[in-house]
Amino acid sequence: MNCKQFQEALPHIIESGGDPDQEAHLLSCEACSELVRDLKYIAEQARLLLPMRDPNPRVWSNIQDSLAREGLVQEGRMSPRGHIAKNSPIQKKNWTPLGAALAAIAVLALAVLLVNYHPGAAANQAAITPVAAPSNNAAKAAASNPADDQALVNQLSQRDPELGKAYETSLKELNSYISDAEQAASDDPDDAAVQQHLLNAYEQKAMWYEMATNRALE
Amino acid sequence: MTQAKKTIASGLSEAEAIERAKVGDAAAFEGLYGLHKRRVYSLCLRMTGNTAEAEDLTQEAFLQLYRKIATFRGESAFSTWLHRLAVNVVLMHLRKKGLPEVSLDEALEPQHEDGPRKDIGARDNVLAGSIDRVNLERSIESLPPGYRIIFVLHDIEGYEHNEIAEMMGCSIGNSKSQLHKARMKLRDLLKLSRAEKAIRR
Repeated sequence: MNCKQFQEALPHIIESGGDPDQEAHLLSCEACSELVRDLKYIAEQARLLLPMRDPNPRVWSNIQDSLAREGLVQEGRMSPRGHIAKNSPIQKKNWTPLGAALAAIAVLALAVLLVNYHPGAAANQAAITPVAAPSNNAAKAAASNPADDQALVNQLSQRDPELGKAYETSLKELNSYISDAEQAASDDPDDAAVQQHLLNAYEQKAMWYEMATNRALE
Repeated sequence: MTQAKKTIASGLSEAEAIERAKVGDAAAFEGLYGLHKRRVYSLCLRMTGNTAEAEDLTQEAFLQLYRKIATFRGESAFSTWLHRLAVNVVLMHLRKKGLPEVSLDEALEPQHEDGPRKDIGARDNVLAGSIDRVNLERSIESLPPGYRIIFVLHDIEGYEHNEIAEMMGCSIGNSKSQLHKARMKLRDLLKLSRAEKAIRR
């Protein structure tokens, strides 16, 4: 057996082992021996490769959107935590003023839309709290004032402790989510997807604020 | 880690999350996503070599998971079932692009530059002990698509040739031949990379 014959049979030799002739050639030929050793080494090293990294948070966001569009889940039913994995680079990023401004504008627009979409709730709200116009609610949400948030949670807890607890848990998750998103946007201000991620975070907060306010006013 | 021992962020075991996701529990599904997103995404990325495509395919794989999870009967491990689903999503995508057909032609008609004759009588320094994982990942990325797919499925994901042949719609012999050529090509790439590094030093 020569090198040509041996190497032509290599796929079979590596998979299933060689016959006596092939084994004898392997022992006597240094070049073929090195080749076999290298190919086996490459296969061994490949088996040790681990999953490399998490997908971008926008993948989860897109999944949520698609499922909501198809009517398979209600919008807002999934928590935003799926966006951020423990080892995602998003946890290492910081806040940017431009992102904040864009987010605030988006939140204002969204909140006005949401409140206008529920005229009954808006009228009810105006009757009870004359100074709390829709845009004020949105501004509070955008500003993310912890004292206001807590006051709202307290109000809900007085009405129904379980309800207050649920909203408080949700608030903590949202604030944590926003904090991560702000860091991400700061670290990568030119990444449109990260900025979108931040806007999504603020939209979620605006929705929380609107829902909590409506429940408090019921 | 066994399926029973895996837990997700909400404190559910993976098995509990699967049962809940089957009846449409979105939070349980989210937990399954968190548990498997890295491996599914890495599979898609290694098979396509393209971040944007890998993201789209990861999304599609999990959307299919949501739609099909009720059909999971537990006959295999959930991760095995999910990764097979993801592989099928990627292969379907690549078929639409026509890449597997090209790669199979390559397998049937070996090119001399990738064939075994190159090494005949040659004395090269062995690679053993000199491959770092970053280099290996980069070299895998540089493989022609057809080689890369077979290599990822067999050597990284651990599929057998008969499974690959079934998934790819080719013969077992083609799968073996293509894997061999992928490893040969990788060997060349890794040696080239090592030589370039030596020159830079």
